[in-house]
Amino acid sequence: MDLAKLKAGLKKDFISSSSSEDLQKLKVKYLGKKGKITNLSKQLGKLDIKQRPKAGKKINELKLLFEELNQSVSQKIEKKELETAISKEQIDVSLPVDSNYIGGLHPITRTIEKICSYFSAKGYLIEDGPEIESEYYNFDALNIPQDHPARDMHDTFYLDSGKLLRTHTSPVQIHAIEKHKVPLKILCPGKVYRSDSDPTHTPMFHQVEGLLIDENVNFGNLKKELIDFLNYFFEKNLQVRFRPSYFPFTEPSAEVDIMDKKGWLEIMGCGMVHPNVLEMSGIDSKKYSGFAFGLGIERMAKLDFSINDMRVLFENDLKAISGK
Amino acid sequence: MKFLKSHLLEKVPMKIDTSKLESELTRLGLEVDSIEKLKNKSDVLFDLDLTPNRGDCFSVLGIARELAAVSNKKINKESNGLIASKLSPNSKVKISAKAACPRYCFIEIYNLDNTKKLPSFIKERLEAGGINSINPVVDILNYVMLDLGQPMHAFDLNKIGKQINVRFAKSKEKIHLLDESSKVLSDKCLVISDEKEPLAFAGIMGGIKSSVSATTDSVFIESAFFAPNIIRGKARNFNIQTDSSQRFERGVDYNLQSLALVKATNLIKEYLSGTYSKIMTVEIKSNLPCQKLIDLDLNHLNKKLGFEIKLTKLKKYFEALEFKIESNKKNSLKIKIPSHRFDIEIEEDLVEEIARLEGYDNIPSIDLKTSSSTFRSSNYTQTLNLKKYIANQGFQEVINYSFVNKKSLKELDISEELIELKNPLNENLEVMRTSLFPGLLKTLKSNLNRGENFMKIFEEGKVFKKTFSAREQNMLSGLIFDQDKKKNWSSKKQFSFFDLKKFIVDLLNHLSAKEIVFQQSKNAFLHPNISIDVIKNKQIIGSFGRIHPKINKSIGLKKNFFYYEFLTDALNFKNKYKISESSKYPSVQRDLSFVIPGETQFDNLDKLARKLAGPNLVNLKLFDLYESSEIKNQGSSFAFNFTWQSKSKTLEDKDIDVLVNSIVKGFKEKFNATLRS
Repeated sequence: MDLAKLKAGLKKDFISSSSSEDLQKLKVKYLGKKGKITNLSKQLGKLDIKQRPKAGKKINELKLLFEELNQSVSQKIEKKELETAISKEQIDVSLPVDSNYIGGLHPITRTIEKICSYFSAKGYLIEDGPEIESEYYNFDALNIPQDHPARDMHDTFYLDSGKLLRTHTSPVQIHAIEKHKVPLKILCPGKVYRSDSDPTHTPMFHQVEGLLIDENVNFGNLKKELIDFLNYFFEKNLQVRFRPSYFPFTEPSAEVDIMDKKGWLEIMGCGMVHPNVLEMSGIDSKKYSGFAFGLGIERMAKLDFSINDMRVLFENDLKAISGK
Repeated sequence: MKFLKSHLLEKVPMKIDTSKLESELTRLGLEVDSIEKLKNKSDVLFDLDLTPNRGDCFSVLGIARELAAVSNKKINKESNGLIASKLSPNSKVKISAKAACPRYCFIEIYNLDNTKKLPSFIKERLEAGGINSINPVVDILNYVMLDLGQPMHAFDLNKIGKQINVRFAKSKEKIHLLDESSKVLSDKCLVISDEKEPLAFAGIMGGIKSSVSATTDSVFIESAFFAPNIIRGKARNFNIQTDSSQRFERGVDYNLQSLALVKATNLIKEYLSGTYSKIMTVEIKSNLPCQKLIDLDLNHLNKKLGFEIKLTKLKKYFEALEFKIESNKKNSLKIKIPSHRFDIEIEEDLVEEIARLEGYDNIPSIDLKTSSSTFRSSNYTQTLNLKKYIANQGFQEVINYSFVNKKSLKELDISEELIELKNPLNENLEVMRTSLFPGLLKTLKSNLNRGENFMKIFEEGKVFKKTFSAREQNMLSGLIFDQDKKKNWSSKKQFSFFDLKKFIVDLLNHLSAKEIVFQQSKNAFLHPNISIDVIKNKQIIGSFGRIHPKINKSIGLKKNFFYYEFLTDALNFKNKYKISESSKYPSVQRDLSFVIPGETQFDNLDKLARKLAGPNLVNLKLFDLYESSEIKNQGSSFAFNFTWQSKSKTLEDKDIDVLVNSIVKGFKEKFNATLRS
């Protein structure tokens, strides 16, 4: 057998192969049971013992050549075949899908989450409180006695048997003190109700109340806590102003303003917990002090989502509240 | 509280531009509601939104004191000079309600001319203060009130008796007031009366009979101190707010009565002429507020503010506020509070005063050191995660008012144990919702009108009923409405009960719910045959299904739609997320198709199949279902796909054969089922 001829034939065969099947056939032709290279190996035994190593080496070279050619050609063929297969699979990917409506959380919930996740990471426990309250929790325990002019600031909805709808989330302060004792650090988001309705007021709205009681808490701490929070919420370093105000359950009390495009904007109320509130709940006001703060969620949402009329938040126009 | 800038600066002579004045008032806690530049004048109208504790600032004098304190200026002292009269008044005053009216000053003025014109500055200042001009005497009294803060009242001397009594009204006693309204008083209302009848609703409004008019020539002027708690709430209860009641209920300086009367008399004498009697004062000293002395512990002050204030600075602040330091022991000051600062009661109030004068913005921000942090998840976190999951399933969250129209509840057959508002804003907001369903329906309808025809909405919030343990509980409810006739080419199918069921089952799996049972629902909102109650520990924690046809009918929506509701807190399964290792051994699958004659609920088949398939069953699927009509008269065909896998060994075919045989046998016995080939 002429090895050179075999070698040339092998090369030619590979060049003319164009499919995986062709390659399979070549494998049989050369390396199968009756394959050309296999036959050569079989003849090796018949050779003179001196010639065998040399011939063996040649046959091995042939085998290696086959492998080499097989590998490179099969790579090319596979690539071509894949391309052919891909070219046959075609759809119009520009056809529309059914996604004209996808769900989401209400802007109020989104705002509450933004606030709660911050304070929760700072170790405030998120509390829930009842929306139907007694006069005691909503007013008396917060140092707002009967006929106090501060009650005029709260247009209260009354229910039967002396109950009312809470006018602020502050009653949760009292529930939390009773439940957890001091020191404590809580935050309570929730619905509150006031008998009021115009473009800037809705009879139901949302507040978040924060309360921290511990030893050695001071007004400077309150300022730091709230300035940090406001910078977080509005995602920039704000100009923040604290000015004296009045809440019966805090002393000193303050309103917090931030500098907006149009000037100062009232954003939240806060203060140092009034000693009467602490004492009424059985806490030694000489040993413990604390601060409380409250903010209107609608106002925060309004700023965060550029809402003009507060009432839009409760009209539930799905397109509007989903931001679509 | 409205006033003119020129009026204020007359009391505190100083130069200050308007924006600086605004910022000074603001930093003192006197919120500036608006500032208006007056046309044709160089003057500016300020409107302050006063907090209820600062009754002392309900006068130009009060605001002047604050401005003087913060700018280191002195205010012009009121002259209390009045040329003494020797005339004794004709009237006698007796105070029966001693605690309610500890001091009553009065004067009589005779032969005045109540048709004269008052100088323009009085008119302008009154107008700026939002006080209507009535007649000269009344205008002067109102002007002094605006100026000093003491409300006064003038009676026509010829129309009242000689014996004046400050007393509580008799029960159901009537009074005809200046605004021409008639009020029926209670025995908690204070009145000024003569021998015959009440002349004025004390501190709130005078009576019409004894009122001063243009023809009045002699007046009796009252300047009294009424206890704030007597006046409080009355104006609101009787629906009459007056400049006088506003001031008395917040509190008036108890040392101001005589001074105000002097000022008023001087003005009347100057502009309306006339002669006057002596000023008479009837008072019950023991019922007057007492001079307050408050101890200020300097350590406490510094601890509360977070930084140290020097004693010299403190002294300066107290002097500016007219607070006298009575004694100065080591680290403790005894402070005497002036009578006009009736809001100052405790040490903390002094802390606030110091902070105010220092300026809240000048108090340093200090990092908090606290030991009370709690890092654990709460119901809030759980509910939020739940809401996020539902929103991610394509539901839009909505928020409706917690109060609803009673009629809308009645339409849904809800009328029991309702919690009603005593003073609703309107009939649409008159009763607390017992369910989230009415609100979701309302949302649905309004969006239908906006042209939406496919909606998935949900709400989470409290519902209220007298029978609930705390009268309220948290609910989570959702609605699916699908009447989209032009569906996208790729998803032609309308939303079905099984789409809803899949959502609920996925939700429960997501929450790692265990030991949940589904049973036919009794929920009144749902179709009795196309609904399911979700049971945990024998309690219904939720329901879902198609809306009851009678509700469809009553709300006029013909299309089928779907509803689900859950007790939010019951969905907190508190199951800890655990990772379990999967089996190393191969799984085995077998398909079994049964033809089952007659009607059978899948649930019964499923239960038996699971029972017979043994503990190594890891998955059981119903992969095909033929309803009876399709397999002529043979019943229904259910095709199951079983998957077994052991955690401890490779399951052999013969193990599985035993199980399969037992399933086939069991199905034959219980359901008369035959195996399909």
